[in-house]
Amino acid sequence: MNVYLLQVVNGVGIGMLYFLLAVGLSIIFGLLRFVNFAHGAFYLLGAYFCFQAVAWGLSFWLALVLVPLAVALLAWAAERILLRRIYDKPHEFHILITVGVALVLQEAVILVWGPLGDNVATPAPFQGVVMWGSFIYPKYRLFVIGFTAVFALFLWWVLEGTRLGSAVRAGSESTEMVAMLGINVFRVFGLVFALGAGTAALAGALAAPIRGVDPFMGLEALGVAFVIVVVGGMGSFGGALAGGLLIGIVQSVMSSLWPEGARLMIYVAMAAVLLLRPHGLLGRG
Amino acid sequence: MPALRDNSGLLLALAVVLLLPLLLQSGTLATEVLVYALAVLGCNLLLGYTGLLSFGQGVFFGMGSYAVGILLTRAGMPLMAAVLLSIVIGAGVAALIGWFAIRQRGTYFVMLTLAFAQMFYFLAYSLPGWTGGDNGLLGIPRPPLSLGGLASVPLDTPWRFYSFVAVVFLLTFWLLHRVTTSVFGRTLLAIRENEARARAVGYDTRLFKLAVFAISGAVTALAGALHAMMTGIAPLSNIEYHTSEMILVMTVIGGTGNLFASLLGAAFYVLAADWLSTLWPRWLLLLGLLLIGVSLFMHKGLWGVGQGLWQWATGRVRAGRPAVREQSL
Repeated sequence: MNVYLLQVVNGVGIGMLYFLLAVGLSIIFGLLRFVNFAHGAFYLLGAYFCFQAVAWGLSFWLALVLVPLAVALLAWAAERILLRRIYDKPHEFHILITVGVALVLQEAVILVWGPLGDNVATPAPFQGVVMWGSFIYPKYRLFVIGFTAVFALFLWWVLEGTRLGSAVRAGSESTEMVAMLGINVFRVFGLVFALGAGTAALAGALAAPIRGVDPFMGLEALGVAFVIVVVGGMGSFGGALAGGLLIGIVQSVMSSLWPEGARLMIYVAMAAVLLLRPHGLLGRG
Repeated sequence: MPALRDNSGLLLALAVVLLLPLLLQSGTLATEVLVYALAVLGCNLLLGYTGLLSFGQGVFFGMGSYAVGILLTRAGMPLMAAVLLSIVIGAGVAALIGWFAIRQRGTYFVMLTLAFAQMFYFLAYSLPGWTGGDNGLLGIPRPPLSLGGLASVPLDTPWRFYSFVAVVFLLTFWLLHRVTTSVFGRTLLAIRENEARARAVGYDTRLFKLAVFAISGAVTALAGALHAMMTGIAPLSNIEYHTSEMILVMTVIGGTGNLFASLLGAAFYVLAADWLSTLWPRWLLLLGLLLIGVSLFMHKGLWGVGQGLWQWATGRVRAGRPAVREQSL
């Protein structure tokens, strides 16, 4: 029994990271109407920037602030220089250009840091485990759950309580209408793209001490993020949260029941959700 | 000559098939071009003719490889039977994925195909008893081709196998040419241009999309089966994300909506990859830059560039004619 409870808590921890990974993809899709295949690469960059910052002797906490900002800036520039030129083109080119960006970033990571992975030390205050009776759990993972929960609230406030947020939500309904109201839609596009990339980078930085870094973690993350967005419903904040937690728990519980098939089961869960609700858990059909 | 113009793609494909052995030293490389060209034809049928962007073509490719591998090694089937059954399996898997995916449109469809591609990848990974897991399915034989029990053609050397693949390729090219110029093909174009209108006219567009998905799966599985016989293994990488990405990239680089463009895209990618990967192990970086460039500046692919050059050349010839006449007068 205790094993399953532990796996569920573990799943919540993974799920919160998955949420952070997927929510940016979902918001970008909701507003910009294209699938960002570079999303996994931004996650990858977040993890490697964090690794580099810690290797340079910077504090992990400072890295947690600076890394997402750096990646967001990079994404903002990519949107301005590349994506903005082709919004009016067929959507295969939106996808193709992000696939290109992802390839360039992944290969650049291999060029700079080498093809092999590395580890990132758990930050000092959260080394070790917590014990409540027979329940033992790593401190850092508890911190990740708490931190992502707080960040999720912050993100929710940004989307629901700020002018940018209302422009994003209105833009998801009708971009033309928002443009006619005198809002510079392209600026909102750029900011949302940067925000999405920044959250992916934050997820990467937080995941680095847990799983280490390797050049192909971005690709792996991209697949998972897609599943979560499809399960939760495209463009939905709550959907990303529900989908992330569901997939995290399924993966974690299955990894103690059938380790080789744990990854397969998250896709089976996806197929099951799609059979019952074709537009995802919280998607509007 | 309308007949010549109608079949110009077929003639160009025939020319390339005959030229490859003269231009390339390696029969395996030439075979690889045609094998990927088949897979790209399947992708083009979806993207160029129906407007469906599938990121899951690797599934059908990989399923074809595994199917032919299992049928040849375990069941000991004759070559043609194994290949045909692999095609049927590819069509079946495509119909299954298509049934889920075609209910959605646009970007949602893209994500669904990718998610299902990942699902089949992990399925192959989790069943090492069937697929060999991480190592892949090894020791796939290349039995001789028997022609109705009358004669048996050995396919042992790379160039012999190339001849077999070339015949299969041309046959498939011709069949797809027939499909795209048929009423069925024209209906697909109508769906690509305006699905709501096609439905309003009375076509069951979902059925058409499902059918074209199955055809695409069949062609791609055929490519996968030939690839497995070419290399003698069905590796896990054949069903991976990377294969799906590669097939899509070749399709868009070649150009969509024209069958010969698919051969162009596959040839360009395979030969460039072969050349660049020996120069620099990080050549994928260049591919990434190329993709960005194609997306920004080359929307009709290599075929579009070729067409532009042809028009420019022929236009210049026509503009030049009067000048020549004046001089001769």
